[in-house]
Parts: sequence; structure tokens; C-alpha cells
Amino acid sequence: MSAIVSVRNVTKDYMLGKTVVHALREVSLEVEGGDFLSIAGPSGSGKTTLLNLVGCVDTATGGVVEVDGRDTSTLSERALTDLRLRRIGFIFQSFNLVSVLTVAQNVEFPLLLQGGLTAKERAQRVAALLAAVGIEGYAKHRPSELSGGQRQRVAVARALVTRPALVLADEPTANLDSKTGESVIDLMKEMNRKDGTTFIFSTHDPKVMAHASAIVRIEDGRIVARERTAAA
Amino acid sequence: MRTRVDATRILFRIAFRNLLASRAKTAIMGGIIGLGSLLVVFGTAVVDSLDAGMARSIQGSLTAHLQLYRKDSPDSLQVFGGMTGASRLEPMESYEAVKKVVAAVPNVKAVVPMGIDRAFVSSGNVMDLALEKLRADAREVFPQGSGKRTTPATTPEARQRYDARKAHVRRMIAILREELGQARVLVDIPPAERAERAAQWADLERADTSAFWSSFDRDPWVALEFLENRVAPLQTENGFLFIRYLGTDLEAFRKAFDRMEVVEGTAVPPGRRGILLGKFYAEEFLKLKHARRLDKIKEARARGRRIATDEELKRWVAENASQTRDILLQLDPTQAESATAKLDAFLGVPERDLAKLLPLFFRTDDASFDARERFFYAELAPMLQLYTFRVGDVITIKAPARSGYMNAVNVKIYGVVAFKGLEDSSLASVFTLMDLQSFRDLYGWVTPDKAAEIAEIKRSAGLTELGREDAEAALFGAQGSTATPAAGRPTPIPDVPVTRERRGRDSDLFSRVYSQEEIDRGVVMNVAVALQDPRRLRETQAAIQKAVDDAGLGLTVIDWKQAAGTLGQTMTGLQVALYTSAFILFVIALVIMNNAMVMAMLQRVKEIGTMRAIGAQRRFVLLVSLVESIAVGVVFGLAGAGAAAGLVWLVRAMGGIRSDNAQLQFLFSGPTLMPRFAGSGLAIALGIVILVSVVSGIYPAILATRITPLEAMQSEE
Repeated sequence: MSAIVSVRNVTKDYMLGKTVVHALREVSLEVEGGDFLSIAGPSGSGKTTLLNLVGCVDTATGGVVEVDGRDTSTLSERALTDLRLRRIGFIFQSFNLVSVLTVAQNVEFPLLLQGGLTAKERAQRVAALLAAVGIEGYAKHRPSELSGGQRQRVAVARALVTRPALVLADEPTANLDSKTGESVIDLMKEMNRKDGTTFIFSTHDPKVMAHASAIVRIEDGRIVARERTAAA
Repeated sequence: MRTRVDATRILFRIAFRNLLASRAKTAIMGGIIGLGSLLVVFGTAVVDSLDAGMARSIQGSLTAHLQLYRKDSPDSLQVFGGMTGASRLEPMESYEAVKKVVAAVPNVKAVVPMGIDRAFVSSGNVMDLALEKLRADAREVFPQGSGKRTTPATTPEARQRYDARKAHVRRMIAILREELGQARVLVDIPPAERAERAAQWADLERADTSAFWSSFDRDPWVALEFLENRVAPLQTENGFLFIRYLGTDLEAFRKAFDRMEVVEGTAVPPGRRGILLGKFYAEEFLKLKHARRLDKIKEARARGRRIATDEELKRWVAENASQTRDILLQLDPTQAESATAKLDAFLGVPERDLAKLLPLFFRTDDASFDARERFFYAELAPMLQLYTFRVGDVITIKAPARSGYMNAVNVKIYGVVAFKGLEDSSLASVFTLMDLQSFRDLYGWVTPDKAAEIAEIKRSAGLTELGREDAEAALFGAQGSTATPAAGRPTPIPDVPVTRERRGRDSDLFSRVYSQEEIDRGVVMNVAVALQDPRRLRETQAAIQKAVDDAGLGLTVIDWKQAAGTLGQTMTGLQVALYTSAFILFVIALVIMNNAMVMAMLQRVKEIGTMRAIGAQRRFVLLVSLVESIAVGVVFGLAGAGAAAGLVWLVRAMGGIRSDNAQLQFLFSGPTLMPRFAGSGLAIALGIVILVSVVSGIYPAILATRITPLEAMQSEE
């Protein structure tokens, strides 16, 4: 399989007050389609920065980031937004659901931005995903009425509804207790296996890492190791 | 396309849900917007109808749509008078030329010549009036003059009238003596005046003796002269009244101003000299004060005010009870006796002194008022002169002419005039309408006709030996050229009002019918123009200006609002006040909305960042934010407008805004103002509201587009 993400010699510096922080130093990484990759490292090691670059929500100071075969540094803001909309799904640490919309509307939201499907098609796809993540009974509830684990399941459904090539998850289990966290990771894994969607998630929890097919370890902005796991 | 519609739907859903999610904030923003909208819509409805009402009042009473006056006048024309009284204008020497030019302009319906000024009318000294009547009665009893001594045609009735009149005069002198006697005790007389005052007092005492009256008939003329010259002047309350008049071609005026109606008497016959008294003027200034106050109390009570609780009504009652002298002086002894008997019976008190009965009668309360008011008009009023002048009288009007001399004209009162809906208005119905010829005489412009007339009078005066009466008439009569110098003092020389004897002299003037040509030829001060289609006012104003400029007439054309002077400015002031307060309110609304939207935006940074990360374009975020502020604006703006419409409806259902105030009635064009819900007000209000919400929403919306998807990634800690 060809690489869905290709990061080559990427550096990312940003200013923190008057000092320059080198968040990433000469990082290179290839992610194959269908991977279930975990990025591991302590806080401040550069995990989130790397995910942001791959997710096209931030730009690199140097080097090349290719997503789905396209060099993101050459794309306009609009084109990047469109790329995110069509090819990438996001799962956030704190769920980030739109509080004023229902569960079903939250999941449907990216489809509406994308356009192209009839209301019936959208409804079917949303219903199928809600069933797949196990919260079909909560379609009309507001996010505030759900538990943390349920909310993250909604977020997983939302990330997958556009059938993206790549789903990025930054610390998806950090706000969940370990049991719930594991069940969310299991769900992601199941989706990865069923549809072949590539997942990249960051975590510092060894138990969560254990579910990944490969682990990339980052320290001080550098990749220090890439290992395959027993799960692979 | 379907998806686009659905995307728009989700956009609105997010926007409205956001608004619902923060109800308090939305309510505050909406409240202010709604209030502003209510103010604009209701305010516009009121101001519009005020504007329309005032336009009707001004255009329909005196001003018409346009006014012309001479460019080189020292003042600008203010038809209703400005702060400093009537405007000083240069005269247009030939109205004929102006009429011809203006009438030819399209859309001109009527052209009306005018001259507005103030003058004095001698209201007559009550003593003078009584003496004059006594003199007339004496003439019947002791015929004299005109050379022919005929046998006395004295009837017993004439003799009786004469004796009653004498008794009346004597009674008046007694009252005067009593009053002056009190004044002598109270006032310290300066030494220089002592001799003169002593002489006056001696004269008065002499006139109040039985000896004087028993010898009266021996030479009534000498006795009368003594009373006229020595005693009557002591009666200081011989006022003159101000009168505001509008000289005009009365026929043209009547056709152009359809709100004018003759409420008493008749119109002045075409081409004749004559005046129509303003209704308000007649009621307020000419009516016997007691009757006027009774009318006012009655009217106030009909509106629900009560003597017991209302300070003004209490004051009127007190004034009526304390100032009964006017009535006492008017009644001769026979009448006084009859009044005493009637009051005795009515009040049921054994009081025989009329001077004490009258205060008792006038001290009314709410329970007794209606019966007493009826009694006054039924029993007392027929014995009294209710109005200083009445329809049919000939009065002398005097005014300082251009030369600085006083000019005087005698004019006949044909009727009383009022303007529909403005009967009580001190602005419109205070004006007395006068024929143009009399106006020109007063103004002192010598027309060729007049010059000939004066020459004729001079010639006849040179040939005839004048009797005492004729000499007086020649000195103070109708002709302006021989009037007394006023030397800058506006006080006129007290004049005996015109009597039957003088009418003979005036009768040829009064019966003369002037042709339209004579009316048009001559001086006027300003010209009113009524239009066929008032909506084309600006256009016609420009056309008339051009026409008079082309004719080289040196005139300026102003619209009715400008011609109304301070009145027109009042309206503009009201409009400015309304729009200023609305503007301030909307600026406050703008600031608060802007602030609230920015706060809301800051609270939702993460949510907006998430939407951006998921793939929402900047435009989507911008629209959500704008839709929120516009929705608040439109929904609450409409609610405010709806509330205003309801308020307008409520005010109308309750019979409009009532006013007892004459100035307000003029603005209302009647006693009540009916605000009308104006579409223009609604359109303006909604326009402003949407503008305000867009403007207040733009900054937070732009802020929202600057939120990057990175914001979504920040953890909550």
C-alpha cells in the first residue's frame, strides 16, 4: 500500500514570548494506508504539533508534509479546509461536539458542509454510524445529556461519517476513565479493521498504545523510535 | 442544491440555537433593539400625523402652500408672528402685477393678497359710553343743533329713558368716587401732583352731589361737557385692545382657505369694506370676563375637572366673585333692581345690596355651578353687554402708519370667523380678517383714489363751518392724513367710539362696492399661493420663483413651513429630537450588541475552531455570526414595530391624544391627535434596525473568521 501521509525533514518552530521553541526538528515519517498508528511521548514532546501538521490545521516551518499525495504547503487556506473536510476525520481530546446540535445533527454536520448527498442518504449514513458506535438510542439527545464515553463515540461517528482516508485523534482517551478509554480505542480499531481507514492517534498511556499496530516514539521534537507491536 | 439548502438550514439552526442558549444576552440585545424600533415607529407615527396636522392647520388657515414677499424686507415673513411680533416687510406696490405673473404658473389654484399687522381698537371707557348714550337721550328730550328749533317731540318713554340713564351715570360716579376715595387713603400723592389731584377730587365730589344733578337739566350740555372732560378721564380703565388683523381680498381668501367658516353674522359682501372678527379673539378678549370664565369652567368640568380639586378652576371662581365691578357698572338702576330681585329669589338670601349679592352668586362649587351658569345666561346676560363689540357694530381701528403717525379706519363688523378644527386656536382664530381697502388705509399707503378723496374732504372742510361734533369727526375720523402724531408711543389717544352721528359720514364708504380691479390695484405685504396638487410644491415653488424673477418683481417665494416661522421650526425641532433620541438609542444598541456578540464569540472559540477543523469554511462561520445578530435585529425590531402599531391602535381606540392646549390643538389640527401607523415609519425603523445589527455583527463575525482550527486542539485544562 502507498503512503497516505508522508512527512519529510519537517521542522516546526514557534515563538513563546521571546524564546524560540523547536517543537519538531527534522522529523520524517511515512504512514501507510490502513495503519493504526500511535504517536507516543511525554507532554511537550511534539506529538500534538505533528498531528496538527498532518491534519492540515497548522503549517510547518520547514520540510514537506504530504497528505493523500498532496503537498500541503502549496495549498490555499480554502483548499486546506476542503482537504480536511473530505479526506480527514478528527477526534478531539475533549470531544468538541457542537453543544446546540443533537447527536444526530452533530454527526450529520460534516456531510452538510460537504454537500452532495440527499437528506435520506445522509440520514441512513448517520443512523448506520450511530448504530456502529453503539449510541443509536441517543440520536435526538444533546451532547450535554451524554457521558464522556458516549460523547467520544459520537465524535468517532462524526469523524467517520464522510468516509475519510485518514482519522486523526489527539489524546482521545485522556478525558476518559481507563475502561471507557479502552472501549473507545477498541471502537476505533474495529472501524480501522472494517473499512481500512487509517488512524493516527497520540497518547502517553501504555495500555492504549498497546492497541496500535505501530508506535512512533517522540522526544524533544525528534522521532526516537518506530516499533511494531504485538497487535499488528 | 438540496444540500445547499440543508446547509443553510443547519447554519440558521446553529445561529438560532446559539441565541436560545444564551437567552439573557439575547433578551437584553433584543430589548434595546425593540425599544429603539418602537420609538422610531411610534414616534414617526406621531410626528408624521403632527406634521400632517400642522400642515393642514397652517395651509388651511392663513398660509396656504407658498408665500411671496419682497426680497429686500428687513425681516423674513412669519405669518403667525415671530418672537418680536409681526414681521416688518417692504410693501409690494402693485399686487396686480404679482397676481398676473403668479396666477399664470401651472399648478397654482389661487393667489391671495395679504397684509398682516397689529392695531389698536378703542374698547371704550364705560363712563364715556354711558355719557354718550346720555347725550343721545338728552338730544331727544332737548332737541337742538342744526339751526332749526322744533317743538320738543319728547315722549314720556324718552323722558323715562333719559332719567334712568342719568341715574346710571350718577351711580357710576358714586362707584368711582368710592374707589378713588379708597385710593386716596392708600396712595401717597407726590407734592407736584397734589394741586391737580385735589382739583380732580373736588370735581368728582361735585359730580356726586344732589345739587349737581338737580340742576343738570337746566343746561344739560354744559353738565355733560363737565362730566365728559373732568370726570370721565378719572375712570382710568378705558383700555384699548390689541387686534391682530389680516387684510386680504376677502372673496379670494374665502375660496382659497376652505377651513374658514363664518360662525356668526355674514361674510363681508363682495367688494365692500368690512371685517370678520376672529372667533378666539372675540371670546378671549371681547367677551365679558365673567361670562368667559363661566364658559371656561363649564368646559373644564365637562372634561372631568372639578372646582374642588383644580387650582385653576378655583382661581377663576375667585376672580368672578371678587371682580364684580364690571357688571355693577354696566347695570343702570332699573336693571340693578331687577337683578337684585332675581338673585334674591334664586339664592334665597335676604340681601338687598347687589354688590354683595354678586360675589355670593359667583362663589360657586361643583354642586351649584351648572344651575348658576344657566341662571347667569338666562337672567343676567340679557341685561349685560356680553361682548365689547358685536356683529353689526362699527369700530375704529388705529395703527401707527409707515410715516409714524397714527392712522385710523372705521370698519363695520360683518361676522365672526373661525377655522374648522381650530376654533379655540390662539394662533389661527385670533386673526381678524379685514378688507384690503381698510388695510391700505391703516397701512398709510396713499392710493390715487384716496388722494382724491382727501382733496375732496379738504375742500369741503374749507367751505363748511364745522360744529363741535363734526370737528371731532374731522380730527379723528377715517382719513389717515390728519391723524395725531404718535411720537413713537404705541398708546393711542383715547377716542370716543363711532356713534350713529358719524355713521352718516362713513356710510358712503361703507356702501361703496370696490371692483376687483380696485382691490387688486394697490399695495399688499405678502401673497399666499394655494396649489392644485400640493405634492408638486417644490417644483411649483421653483417655477414661481423663476416667473417672478423673470418679471423683475424682486420677490422671494417660501413654503408654508418657513412662512409659519417659529411654528414650522417647532416641528423640525420635534423631528430632530425624535431622531436624535432614536439615534442615541441605536448607538447604545449597537455598542451593547457588538459587545455581547464579541463575548459570545469568545465563549465559543473552541466550538468555532472545531467547525473550522472539521471543514467549515470561513464564510460559514461569518454567516453564522451575522445571522445571529441580524436575526436578533429583525425579530425584535419587528416586535418593537408591532408593539408600536399596537400602541397606535390603542391610542386611536381611546380616541386619540387629547389636548386642551391651544398651541397643541393647532399642531393637532383639532382637539385630538390621531396618530396614523405609517408604512414609512416601519420601513425606516426596519432599515435602521437591520443596519444596526449588521454593523454591530460585522466586527464579531470578522473575529470569528480569525479563529483557527488550532483552537479546537487545545485541551480544556
